[in-house]
Amino acid sequence: MDNGEIIVGIDLGTTFSLVAYADAAGPHIVRDEHGDGRVPSVIGVTPGTGNRPPQVTIGWTARAHAVENPQATVYSVKRLIGKGVADVHEDLPYLSYAVAAGPRDTVQIDINGRRYTPEEISALILRELRERAEKHLGVPVRKAVITVPAYFDDAQRQATRDAGRAADLEVVRIINEPTAAALAYGIGVRPESTAAKTPRGHVALPMARCTSESGGALDQTGQTVAVYDLGGGTFDISILRLEEGVSQVLSTAGDTHLGGDDFDRAIINLISHEIRERFGVSVSAPATKQALRTLAENTKIRLTDHDQAEFELDLGRDRVYRRVITRAEFEGLVAPLVERTITLCEHALKDAKLHSADIQQAILVGGCSRIPLVRKRVGELFSRPPYTALNPDEVVALGAALQAAILSGQRTDMLLLDVIPLSLGIETMGGAMGKLILRNTTIPCRATEMFTTFVDGQTAIQLNVLQGERELARDCRLLGQFELRGLPPMPAGMPKVEVEFLIDANGILNVAAKELRSGQAASIQIVPNHGLTRDEVDQITRDSLRFARADLDAHRRIDLLNQVEFDTQKTVQMLAKVGHLLDDADRVRIDHDIAALRQFAQETKDLDELYRRLTAFGHSTLRLAELGIREAFKKGT
Amino acid sequence: MAPTETERQRQGAPAKCAACAGPMDSPLFCDHCRSLYPADGLNHFELFGLAPTYDIDPALLRQKYLQVSRGVHPDYHSTGDSSLSLHLSAQLNEAHRVLADPVLRAEYLLELVGGKSAKEDKSVPPEVLSTALLLREEIQEARTAGDAAALESRGAQARAVYERTLATIAELARQMPGDERSRARLRTALNSIKYHQKLLTEL
Repeated sequence: MDNGEIIVGIDLGTTFSLVAYADAAGPHIVRDEHGDGRVPSVIGVTPGTGNRPPQVTIGWTARAHAVENPQATVYSVKRLIGKGVADVHEDLPYLSYAVAAGPRDTVQIDINGRRYTPEEISALILRELRERAEKHLGVPVRKAVITVPAYFDDAQRQATRDAGRAADLEVVRIINEPTAAALAYGIGVRPESTAAKTPRGHVALPMARCTSESGGALDQTGQTVAVYDLGGGTFDISILRLEEGVSQVLSTAGDTHLGGDDFDRAIINLISHEIRERFGVSVSAPATKQALRTLAENTKIRLTDHDQAEFELDLGRDRVYRRVITRAEFEGLVAPLVERTITLCEHALKDAKLHSADIQQAILVGGCSRIPLVRKRVGELFSRPPYTALNPDEVVALGAALQAAILSGQRTDMLLLDVIPLSLGIETMGGAMGKLILRNTTIPCRATEMFTTFVDGQTAIQLNVLQGERELARDCRLLGQFELRGLPPMPAGMPKVEVEFLIDANGILNVAAKELRSGQAASIQIVPNHGLTRDEVDQITRDSLRFARADLDAHRRIDLLNQVEFDTQKTVQMLAKVGHLLDDADRVRIDHDIAALRQFAQETKDLDELYRRLTAFGHSTLRLAELGIREAFKKGT
Repeated sequence: MAPTETERQRQGAPAKCAACAGPMDSPLFCDHCRSLYPADGLNHFELFGLAPTYDIDPALLRQKYLQVSRGVHPDYHSTGDSSLSLHLSAQLNEAHRVLADPVLRAEYLLELVGGKSAKEDKSVPPEVLSTALLLREEIQEARTAGDAAALESRGAQARAVYERTLATIAELARQMPGDERSRARLRTALNSIKYHQKLLTEL
């Protein structure tokens, strides 16, 4: 390995994130002690009390407390990264946390008056993954390959890279999720027998496991495959040619705003509507929104394996909403979403100049690809049962680890050739979009364009760089304004400025300019849209440096103690609220558990044991937590 | 005078790596020491070691493309000269894009032999324009009326016109460099097929 330095692969997902690494035996997911590789992409901020500063919780803990702490629990931040408020207005009614407009058309998250950028939130998740990998590998981790949806535009890719930097990671490569999955598939990664059994947790969600039936034999000599990736927040379809160790993407299509969240929302909308009709109350309190979100997610997951899901919501004052949702009804609700993905598959096929019959394998990726209707429709489109032998939650991280192995020089038997998902161009006179690089062009790629001046002595030219497929500039995404400066003063029309647009292997744009008559390079000032300036990224990195430099164990101890304090305090509060619903014996046991855990936390030096006890505590108070969720419903509506 | 390195490559003589003196199959990289060389002055065909003709074997082009990609791609040069690797890779991808497409390949051949560009000669036969215009109207009418059968038959017509023009282009491109007349005819056919392509994308 180059310099002996490890590069990890990270799947930074909307709902879950994973970290993986590769060694001589192949790629491996870094798992927790329960065998689960997934870290929920959820951040919780508990308000500071007295002289205690606000605390940040990440992953399962934050997720478990989402209902009690709705306005300070951030999830699905991937849907916000690299976007402006106008882009995400459809999401806002479903978010239980507050979102505000930031500078340069960015989105910010407001928690107890403190503004967080999506990059900052993502950096917290990345940091957690990095620490998880460091703990497992026993060496510092400074470099990562991070995956993004293939359909992410330049702003979203840059923002993801900035989040990595803010987490003190050198992002050596951004790769596309479906391509990563194809890489893992291409080398014949087999499902691990040690796969996770139960997710850890205070509120254990029944997650459907990947079934092991496969849609066909794995043939590695020259085949054309489709990777259908329906994740928590985004959808991608990529058509690839796998041949002689090269995985070449022929075309890609997608929607960065179509995923499991939208399937959940279909259920949420149904329930809110019926509650309003029947009881005349509207579901708007943050805690209720959050609880409803959890309920919808569980219902969706249950309907994967069962024909119906039944639930009951106690709305207080003798109002009980009971409902059975059948799979058929659910499928009716989400059919339009599934059809949208099928239409996008057809677009991708057309762009690849292929027909569905040319596809030899349809590989399913992403948690939502478990939905039976999705499998059915994908199977129908490609006239074959989809390939499902790989765990759809883990295959992307495994692919990222493989790409990391390529970049570190560990593997030289594979190569990825990806494409740019959206056309790139500049705004021309009259507000049209002048395309310079067409979508689905293999990256790296390059285009040059000549510019000149309109006024005598003009020394600067401004360009609006756009991404999108529409004819008019205003319908495309403005990536930023590029100002070419330092042109030698000449009569109007004399300067010949050659501007080079170079898309690197990350799918990120680099611009260079040269005045050809003088041979002088023009400097470029970039004002990014929907993103952070370099200074802002540096600031976040500085803010978080104290974590990075801190002794890992000491840091972990502080985190664990805070978690113990947080969990026990929450349990005490919950006991006060809903304790009367428990048996006396249970109450006494929990009281005792609280005291025992607190005492152990103060005395012990064995952090692993403390962690085990904290987790056990979470399990033993599960019933109480569930009662708390129900209570939140009564309060919220 | 001794031929320059580039000329020697054009003549098909085996080149030697300046770094390790090993033989080089590709003008761009050395398979032994992985050194990279700029592709200055090499045309798209030369990048792949192919003769500049219209009829190229797609399988051979693809094989060469993958082979050279493996040699120069930034993934394999993350520590060395990453800028050269990036530019070579971009150039290779562009060359492959052009040569793999029959229309772009003909256009490129015309450029190589000094034919006029689309900007310099915009001529399109009037009957091409009127046919395209008529077909477009009929397609739109069929679509508005929801007449699937008419849409299908107009679509087939548009594809047939496209195929015919493509056959003309192929025939002329095979004659390159040809004479001024054949170059002008190729130019006109290339201008015409843009209208047919546009029709097909609208279907």
